[in-house]
Amino acid sequence: MSEQIHGYLAAFDTPAEIMHAAEQVRDAGFQHWDVHTPFPVHGMDSAMGLKRSRVQRLTLLGGIAGFTTGMLMVWYMNAFDYPLIVGGKPLFSPLFAFPVSYELTILFAAFGTLGGMFLFNRLPMHYHPVMKAVTWPRATDDRFFVAIDADDPRFDAERTREFLEQIGGKDIAALEP
Amino acid sequence: MSASSASTYSSVPAAPALAGSSLPLGLGVAGLVVAVAGFFVDGPQAAAAGWLTALVFWVGIAVGFLFLIMLGYIFDAGWSVVLRRQLEHLVSVFKWLAVLFLPLLVLAWAKPGLLWHWMDPNFDLSTVGGHGTVGTDVLYGKKSGFLSLGFFTVRTVAYFGVWIGLAAVFRRNSFTQDADGEAKWTLSSRKWAAAGLALTAVSSTFAAIDWVKSLEYHWFSTMYGVWYFSNGMRGALSVLALVCIVGLARGTFTGVVNRTHLYDVGKLMLAFTVFWAYITFSQYFLIWNANVPEETFWYNLREVLHDGAPSQWKWVGLAILFGYFLVPFLYLLSYKVKTVPRLLAPVAVWILVLSLVDVCYNVLPFRKDAAGDPLPFLSLQLVWTIAAVVGVGGICVWSYLRSFPTAKLIPIRDPRINESLSHRE
Repeated sequence: MSEQIHGYLAAFDTPAEIMHAAEQVRDAGFQHWDVHTPFPVHGMDSAMGLKRSRVQRLTLLGGIAGFTTGMLMVWYMNAFDYPLIVGGKPLFSPLFAFPVSYELTILFAAFGTLGGMFLFNRLPMHYHPVMKAVTWPRATDDRFFVAIDADDPRFDAERTREFLEQIGGKDIAALEP
Repeated sequence: MSASSASTYSSVPAAPALAGSSLPLGLGVAGLVVAVAGFFVDGPQAAAAGWLTALVFWVGIAVGFLFLIMLGYIFDAGWSVVLRRQLEHLVSVFKWLAVLFLPLLVLAWAKPGLLWHWMDPNFDLSTVGGHGTVGTDVLYGKKSGFLSLGFFTVRTVAYFGVWIGLAAVFRRNSFTQDADGEAKWTLSSRKWAAAGLALTAVSSTFAAIDWVKSLEYHWFSTMYGVWYFSNGMRGALSVLALVCIVGLARGTFTGVVNRTHLYDVGKLMLAFTVFWAYITFSQYFLIWNANVPEETFWYNLREVLHDGAPSQWKWVGLAILFGYFLVPFLYLLSYKVKTVPRLLAPVAVWILVLSLVDVCYNVLPFRKDAAGDPLPFLSLQLVWTIAAVVGVGGICVWSYLRSFPTAKLIPIRDPRINESLSHRE
């Protein structure tokens, strides 16, 4: 039986309960688990022991790439490929290349962020086993859930269920794979 | 997420650093005395220019405090409520800044033309690299309806009137709410914030035009008021960050100001670093691109001497570009820097120093020799400028510390106080 389930889903009624539950699951050493709430609960990141997102690294790389692209593009077009003097200005100056580079910094940083959402946050996710649980739709309304996956190294069909009961979880359901 | 009980934190505010110390007032008076000594050692103009620089610097920061209070109300912000009380203490400085501005007004009437040359119709422009007198200058004639000594005085009094009045309203509303807990005070402040934002935007814009831009009355730039605003906001946020950091280190803000508040102030510091750069670059870029002599001369005299040799101000300008934008921008990008007091404090001090350099860059080069070359940055006038900055700053710190014990540590009955106390990422 225990090999066949995807994990357990336990319900909680208030943001305070889900915060305490998350802290206890974190302290119990679980790694493959998640929390589902109808709205962002501030402080949940540290309650779950999540590390800071790595998405902003790609944002920074995108920004640097955008700035460089802008500068190179204006230099290539105005000073190299088709040298043209406009308004008595030099063929290339970072001053007039700056607005373009600045816009491209923002654009490429946004692309980097988008890429980070796909790579690091595994978006988009169209299906997840919790969706099969009859109780789960209320995570979009008024209930708070902890889901512990069966592939967690500490998962045990009996003891994990008892643990979830012990930390105050209600309507504990085994998830079909 | 437990709602913290506000009353446990605020029954007796712990004393801030330097409370009861005579150091700020002593330093303030000593600085002002040295600045006045410049009047006799280096001439009235050198001392007055330093005094003006100091006031432009500190008034900009104080206006930034006022904007931060009003922005909190207009957006009905929850997170900033615990910090607002410190801002309310800080805006107590306006009346003292007004008193300290008085000598400049007296000087404007007693010796017109000393600071703002256009005030004296007989001012000989050939002494600053021009020709003729102000009275025969067509460009002054066109602007004389606005640039007159009487109107200038009325406007300056009006600016301080607006700021002192708004500061008094927000302080009264917030302090009274501590006692009676009435929601009407918050609603009143919100309405005043709507009107006050417009009033302060207009008054600080015109203050920048009158006090700084009119030093070079031929010149014009539509970005000038926004430059003054952005510079003041950067200074105000840096002071706020330092107040938080010192308060946290001394335990004054234990359980009140948390890492997330500091993170948000740091985020605003980064945002206004970018905003300042955007404004300053736009002003330079438009003038550079149009290349019209009526506008470019303002930057030229901050870059080259009349014989084409580089001026000291060119290096000051480059120091501002890299030191005031690039370094803080790259440094403040990091999450860690914005949340660790030990890392945020140095950049707050750094921004304040460079903010003063930026004000110097805008004010001091109006002092020119007969060839039209500005006095170098590193000259005796810098001594009186720094003395005046320390002097006015000391008075401001003294005013803040004097206001601190008159109210509770945080606005305990603000409708959003619990939201602010439990503010988390």
